[in-house]
Amino acid sequence: MSQEQEKLHATSHYLYYPDEKDIPPYLAYGFRPIFLLLAPYMIISMTLWGALWSGVIYIPFIGNILTWHIYEMLFGILTAGTLAFLSTGLPELFPGMVPFVGKRLKYIMILWLAGRLSFWMIDVTGIYLAAFLNLSMLGWIIWFAKDAVLDKLQRHASIGYTLVAIFAIEVWFFASELGFAKSSSLDILKVAAGAIVVLVLLAMRRVNMEAVNELMEDKGIDDTFISRPPKTNLAIFAISLFTIVEFLYPNNSALGWLGLATGAAILAITADYKLKDEFILNQPFVIYLALIYLMLSVGYALMGWDILNVNINGINHFRHFITSGGIGLAYLVVMIIIGWIHTGRHLTSNIYTHLMIGLIVAATFLRGLIPFFPEYTSEFYAYSAVLFVIPFVLYMKVFFGFLMAPRADGIKG
Amino acid sequence: MKFALKILKDFPAYLWSGWGAVASILLFIAFWDAGNQVYGDLVLPSPLETFKTLSVMLSDESVITEIKTTLYRASIGFGLSLVLGTSLGLLAGFFATASMMSRPIVTILVGMPPIAWIVLAMIWFGMGDETVIFTVIVASFPIVFVGALQGTRTLDGELKEMAKSFKFPWHMKFFDVYFPHIFSYVFPAWVSGLGMAWKIVIMAELLATSNGIGASLAVARSQLDTPTALAIVVIMIGSLMFIEYIILEPIKREVELWRD
Repeated sequence: MSQEQEKLHATSHYLYYPDEKDIPPYLAYGFRPIFLLLAPYMIISMTLWGALWSGVIYIPFIGNILTWHIYEMLFGILTAGTLAFLSTGLPELFPGMVPFVGKRLKYIMILWLAGRLSFWMIDVTGIYLAAFLNLSMLGWIIWFAKDAVLDKLQRHASIGYTLVAIFAIEVWFFASELGFAKSSSLDILKVAAGAIVVLVLLAMRRVNMEAVNELMEDKGIDDTFISRPPKTNLAIFAISLFTIVEFLYPNNSALGWLGLATGAAILAITADYKLKDEFILNQPFVIYLALIYLMLSVGYALMGWDILNVNINGINHFRHFITSGGIGLAYLVVMIIIGWIHTGRHLTSNIYTHLMIGLIVAATFLRGLIPFFPEYTSEFYAYSAVLFVIPFVLYMKVFFGFLMAPRADGIKG
Repeated sequence: MKFALKILKDFPAYLWSGWGAVASILLFIAFWDAGNQVYGDLVLPSPLETFKTLSVMLSDESVITEIKTTLYRASIGFGLSLVLGTSLGLLAGFFATASMMSRPIVTILVGMPPIAWIVLAMIWFGMGDETVIFTVIVASFPIVFVGALQGTRTLDGELKEMAKSFKFPWHMKFFDVYFPHIFSYVFPAWVSGLGMAWKIVIMAELLATSNGIGASLAVARSQLDTPTALAIVVIMIGSLMFIEYIILEPIKREVELWRD
């Protein structure tokens, strides 16, 4: 029974798997090389940023380190995360779609790496090359996901449209850096963060449905989890409004209320975890997933409160609840879930997964609450960076073996 | 008892499901704030200023006294319409003739604008508690009455028959067959009757008395004190929402659960 059930999960792609010969396990499915590169990249880049901020090394980044730091943390990671999500999810969501594997996958990963390299070398190779490589990466992802947008039923089209919007924002950012657009590039990055949160919510709605229902099936919990679109849509509406108003009228008091409203709207999504008959909030993975919403919600609410309260001035610190906390956790949770299920295993929680999630949350609190402890600013910066890196080290320890080996259930992919 | 426990058990989840509502209220407040920026403080004070005024008011003993006065009038008025409306409505529902006869009268009661009732009540009772209480009764009584009437009118004949043929004891017949059905009609009527009572009591006070929240609203109007006026509005809406969504709605949900 268990063997058969195991085969039922995440195997819709199986029938249409391409018959390319000698595909090594690490290129056998989209997520594999991405996670194999993303986890070390997070560790290396965070170390570099730490060294850069503390003055150990010096990279000028065209005279604006902060802007480019935010750019890389948003767009550099986004392309990897999105590609992993789409190349793994789409063949399951649209049976018949040929999984993206092997040589072609290798070339795309090289493109992503080239994008990273062009970023770190931007002072030498210039903005144009970084723009070209990074935009082609995101552009290619959109082209890859075109079936989702063109799908007659438009079931997952919203993800495609959001990606197109993010692509436009990235073009806008580079245009601003190259002097073709007047808006400040830092303001554009705030817009980008809003758009990425929208993408995260759209993606998490699907991840939630898959993961929570699978978890309940595994544990023999007889109930159905439904993530209701209206709640996600309300949150997306609030986030979009907040993002637009913040761009046009930063520090306006109405924005403060919008921040509080956005926080509440995101929190409203977590009410879905209350099922009709069964109690699932004691399941670790449900808590992991709920924490993503909680972090995003706390971030928006604190930013709103900051704007309404003249005595507090820490909006960009609070924003880390959204970026490091919400978006960061979303990446990590997806990496964990895919790492188990799509390597042919059961969704398992253990001390390592608890630690990974807990450390990201702790790092976020240290980073986000700096305004309340001004005397410890430099300590909090350092500790939060260290705590943020450890989960990715743990990820390598737990999952790299799985990612480098064929699926445990013997299925291709 | 089991019923009350179930309501308590479901309460946290119910409360948590309210975040969406909180979000839309906060969006509305953001919209209000934008209105303040367009029209200025005199026309529309900012939400923040209003809430500050509100907290100052709530720490003021005299304002609490006004609120208590209004609460007293509203609860007497609503209490009387609840008792009268429910009992008469249930009774009328059992007799086809009575319900036929009461329909047009209810239409007259509902159709007559409350403001006209206030004028009449002021002539009949003068300026004071009675005028306000009377207006509250005439405004909320018909709502409760119609709800109760519908409850008994729509009782399923087959269910009655079933109860009869199974020879249910009277208490079972009442609590398990009639009561859930009737209550699911009467209770929502109570809720809307209460909403009506709360609105009417302020209006009647504003026109016909020298104390209570409504009278404070009149004073704020004459002094062009918009923050206070808005703070009073917030008190009214806030208390109504508290009663309706925190106290009554969870009960209503449990009551209507059997319908699915």
